[in-house]
Amino acid sequence: QNPIVIKFSHVVANDTPKGKAAERFKELAEKGTKGRVKVELYPNSTLYKDKEELEALQLGAVQMLAPSLAKFGPLGVKEFEVFDLPYIFQNRDVLHRVTEGPVGAGLLAKLEPKGITGLGFWDNGFKVMSSNVPMRLPSDLKGKKLRIQSSKVLDAQMRALGANPQVMAFSEVYQALQTGVVDGTENPPSNLYTQKMHEVQKHVTVTNHGYLGYAVIVNKKFWDGLPADIRTELNKAMKSATQYANAIAQIENDNALDAVKKSGKTTVYQLTDKERADWVKALMPVQKDMEGRIGKDLIQSVHKEAAALGLK
Amino acid sequence: MSALIIFGLLLLLMLTGMPISIALGLTVLTFLFTMTSVPIESVALKLFTGIEKFEIMAIPFFILAGNFLTHGGVARRMIQFAISMVGHWHGGLALAGVLACALFAAVSGSSPATVVAIGSIILPAMVKQGYPKGFGAGVVTTSGALGILIPPSIVMVMYSVSTNTSVGKLFMAGVIPGLMLAFFLGLTTWFLARKHQYPRMPKASWGERLTAFRKSAWGLSLIVIVMGGIYSGVFTPTEAAAVAAVYAFFIAVFVYKDMSLKKVPKVLIDSAAMSAMLLYIITNAVLFSFLMTSENIPQAMAGWILDSGFGMISFLFVVNILLLLAGNVMEPSSIVLIMAPILFPVAMKLGIDPVHFGIIMVVNMEVGMCHPPVGLNLYVASGITKMGITELTVAVLPWLFTMLGFLLLVTYVPSISTWLPNLIYN
Amino acid sequence: MKLLDHLEEYLIALLMATATIITFIAVVHRYMSGFNIPGVQDFLISLNTSWAQELTIYLFVWMAKFGAAYGVRSGIHVGVDVLVNRLSEANKKRFVVISLGAGALFTGIIGTLGAYFVYGIAQTDQTSPDMEIPMWWVYLAIPLGSYLMSFRFLQVAWIFIRSGELPKHDHAHVEGLEDEVTA
Ligand code: NA
Ligand code: NA
Repeated sequence: QNPIVIKFSHVVANDTPKGKAAERFKELAEKGTKGRVKVELYPNSTLYKDKEELEALQLGAVQMLAPSLAKFGPLGVKEFEVFDLPYIFQNRDVLHRVTEGPVGAGLLAKLEPKGITGLGFWDNGFKVMSSNVPMRLPSDLKGKKLRIQSSKVLDAQMRALGANPQVMAFSEVYQALQTGVVDGTENPPSNLYTQKMHEVQKHVTVTNHGYLGYAVIVNKKFWDGLPADIRTELNKAMKSATQYANAIAQIENDNALDAVKKSGKTTVYQLTDKERADWVKALMPVQKDMEGRIGKDLIQSVHKEAAALGLK
Repeated sequence: MSALIIFGLLLLLMLTGMPISIALGLTVLTFLFTMTSVPIESVALKLFTGIEKFEIMAIPFFILAGNFLTHGGVARRMIQFAISMVGHWHGGLALAGVLACALFAAVSGSSPATVVAIGSIILPAMVKQGYPKGFGAGVVTTSGALGILIPPSIVMVMYSVSTNTSVGKLFMAGVIPGLMLAFFLGLTTWFLARKHQYPRMPKASWGERLTAFRKSAWGLSLIVIVMGGIYSGVFTPTEAAAVAAVYAFFIAVFVYKDMSLKKVPKVLIDSAAMSAMLLYIITNAVLFSFLMTSENIPQAMAGWILDSGFGMISFLFVVNILLLLAGNVMEPSSIVLIMAPILFPVAMKLGIDPVHFGIIMVVNMEVGMCHPPVGLNLYVASGITKMGITELTVAVLPWLFTMLGFLLLVTYVPSISTWLPNLIYN
Repeated sequence: MKLLDHLEEYLIALLMATATIITFIAVVHRYMSGFNIPGVQDFLISLNTSWAQELTIYLFVWMAKFGAAYGVRSGIHVGVDVLVNRLSEANKKRFVVISLGAGALFTGIIGTLGAYFVYGIAQTDQTSPDMEIPMWWVYLAIPLGSYLMSFRFLQVAWIFIRSGELPKHDHAHVEGLEDEVTA
């Protein structure tokens, strides 16, 4: 009997946290189902590019993806933009209470009408600011041109800093930072380092102001058509792969920040508590401004998860 | 096996004379319909997303800019300036043609456009002065090829899109090889002209030179605006193309006034048609390389080339042969879009610099444009001179051999390509 | 028919011009807003041009699809005619009709696939990331452009069968340049 084939396509290299986690899932899934499922990995956008993979999944051309959470807004599920809000998660514990608890499950359920079943969330990490000027206070970025991904939330976030947000194709970013078309950008440390952006940025400030993560999703029709016992095994594999993904993402980001420091090309600055309070103060209004788009209740439910951990 | 079917089908369809874009698309459709489980709807998706990239938009922008420059009297003034500088040497007018092509290449991204812009003015003038028709055609056909080597360059944009190489770096990398090739073509011209005692022009005084320079300064300053703007961070290479188009429109209509506002729509339509043709090839080539990837062909080919123990030297030699052969039947955009995804991964594994590899491909494309059966520059020159292709082919030979020699030089001396970008960007 | 021709031409010219101007303005805007002039800078930054890049891409995609149809009518699509040119007149004619038919077939199929695709997308709430316009408006370029292109192939084939004439794009022709002779 031929095994069931799951084509799992993603847009990053095999040796990134997401790539490694995908490999781990493949291993666990094939072992758990005793070879009844075969997972084929297509890394590096070899099959479908960033902009087309979601449509390809809905068409059934691929079965599994792990797109960045920012991709679901344009799909018509604006609630996912909650992850882009600055300072919405005080720390990783709050984040994981959300992604692994009822709030996360509720978000994934919103994908069902789009023909998508969500299996879980994978971390990349919290973002740092980089630019060619030292940044201690938010006002240091006033008037600076900062590259962002297409996103209304990120646009509002940069404007809250008094900066000039610039949407720019990813492939143009490195050179734009180098020549000064844009002054700076935001990234988790691992992306900053693997894209070598620290080579063209003099300063990095560890603001941890925003979060970057992925959702692992499958084509709903395909998923519902699988035998129940196989779905159970795959869910088990996913759970374990998720723990692995989040653990290595953390390590990868810590290592990347160290490597950036060691390179000597970039000054890495850790905010004092007082400075961090200034950043939070400057960016918190964005949460209020975006209530209309994302939903007040959803934002509050995230705050409740923080409160449950004794944070305000 | 599937590789054989795919390429066989493509070749068969192409030889019927149908547009290359259609042949590419039909190959993909036939294969997908009959031999795979890839959902056919993904074809429609790919046809849109294939060109949904801001970097690709540099192509229509550069074509538009080039058309404004051609119609707007920029080429004419560049030629006058070139004549005032080198006209008094052996084969003066022809040398001025080489120089004018190099100057125009620095503001235009396309080779045929360069041949048209310079050739349609300088060739009649050369005939009038007593040059054999073939001599002028040979000079302009090959010098016009500089259009894609000296930045900006549409072919470099295509290469950068299909290999994710920085287009800014490629542009910089084209400067030195471009100047070198212009020098070699000029040298060939000079030798031939001296041998045959072709006419020389009276030497211009420095005053006349200054006047000619001042008149052409508006056009020449576009070189500074494009390269300077990219380098100093005012805009990205794609945006530079849009700025160039607006600037070229402005000098054509308001400064030189060689073009009336009434002619602008026609230029827009012509540019749109030319861009659409290239973009249509791109979409179908993207579709084609999607088919190849889902059939694992590039990976298999890379594996095969690496296993058969090719070193860097023999690989580059084979690449040159392959590209020159492809240059016999296809035009540059299709070649780059089809071959780059296959050859690039191997080149990377062999440790070849991506920018250097890009320049090798571009120089190959230049050669391909100057020889039959398919050679756009040749067709354009034949259109201007009303000479037959066979006759023209013979006329082009001396310069063609110069280009082949130059190709070897560029292939095996990487620093010609990589020195300047490394200097500037590191 | 004349009306359709003109519409096609105006559309692609307009798309080309608009995309160029938008990108130019976005560049100037970013450049100017980089200067630290009190008041002026804040005002410039408050003008949001983040939609410019996306709109430029969409305008050009539309231009590409309709321009390709115009290109059929003006004979700009290049093919490999080396072999065909060596055939006898009658055989050559057959090949021309075959390749025009292939063009009509391909673009017709793509138009239909595109129509299904657009219909599918129209059932969803997908929007573009920056301008947040419905994605199916954007994708509509595929069926519309492809069907028009298919029609143009058939039109050219029909004229060719009746009169033996093909549109030929002369890459060397530049209006008004021939008469300029410098000496
Ligand atoms: Na050029
Ligand atoms: Na050729």
